[in-house]
Amino acid sequence: MQWAVASAAFLASAVEFVEAFTIVLVVGVTMNWRSSLAGAFAAAATLAVIVATLGVTLVKFVPLDVLRLVVGIILILFGLKWLKKAILRYSGIKALHDEEAIFEEQMAEIRARGEVPEARFMPFGVALSYKAVLLEGLEVAFIVITFGSSAATTIAQQTSGIASAALGAAVAGVLVILVGALVRAPLTKVPENTLKFIVGIMLTSFGTFWAGEGFKVDWPYADLFIVGLAALYLLSSFVLVLWLRQVKQHRELETSSRNTAVHVQK
Amino acid sequence: MKVIKAIYNFIVGDMVILLGVIITVIILALLNFVPVFAVFRVASGVILIVAVLVILLTTLSREISPRG
Repeated sequence: MQWAVASAAFLASAVEFVEAFTIVLVVGVTMNWRSSLAGAFAAAATLAVIVATLGVTLVKFVPLDVLRLVVGIILILFGLKWLKKAILRYSGIKALHDEEAIFEEQMAEIRARGEVPEARFMPFGVALSYKAVLLEGLEVAFIVITFGSSAATTIAQQTSGIASAALGAAVAGVLVILVGALVRAPLTKVPENTLKFIVGIMLTSFGTFWAGEGFKVDWPYADLFIVGLAALYLLSSFVLVLWLRQVKQHRELETSSRNTAVHVQK
Repeated sequence: MKVIKAIYNFIVGDMVILLGVIITVIILALLNFVPVFAVFRVASGVILIVAVLVILLTTLSREISPRG
């Protein structure tokens, strides 16, 4: 069991599954649970096939050095994307992800279509649920494959890496479904932004490490250097959050003083 | 075109990050494969880390710029 790989996949999956669950819940509540769950399970099966086929193909046919370089670059791209969103949300420049608002918006959309709850399979409900789980899950599948296949030096370890990552993702999926089934409401209490922030740091750190190895960089302290990279990126992100908060405050002050000046002139 | 855009949005969705990473990879490839630049090869790791931080700073700056 590769714990670093499993936990990264778990955290990334938790975020994506919470987002997907909101749509599955909307379909379940507004149409019926049969259509909603059928779509969700069909998407989960599609994702499992993607991970199994693509994962095995990568491990078997692509040399590890090339794989680590490509995967490293992809993880840096993914990581920076997640980190940027999380930093913007922490600094208040971008609104926090609001599952309740998304839930209400989707409910309104479905009601506007004139869909009413029925016991039979509803193609639109199945398709909506399938699309939501597949789209949110694709990123997870990608992380599972890339993380799992690069965190090892032998083919056996690579296969075990993909299995560890898949297990992490599956545990997150089951957990989200269980909690969701109990709560029967959008999972607003899950600290999505914090999870996104942690995953962004992890992806960027592992990405930098593996891309560097692909370019034959001899990192000091070998694998332990990933912890140092994570600490550096974490610290830099906090500094960036503070800087963005200051910029935001400065702008708000400017706007309010401009408004006051206009008001006085009138 | 739609497929390319979908892949771009799926993987990164941000031109600054994409261009920044591509430029960094080109620089590191030059250091690694062109003998003239071999003396700088030892700095590859530092260059990569600094590049990641600069890319993050640049994309955030773009987000808060008046146009962004």
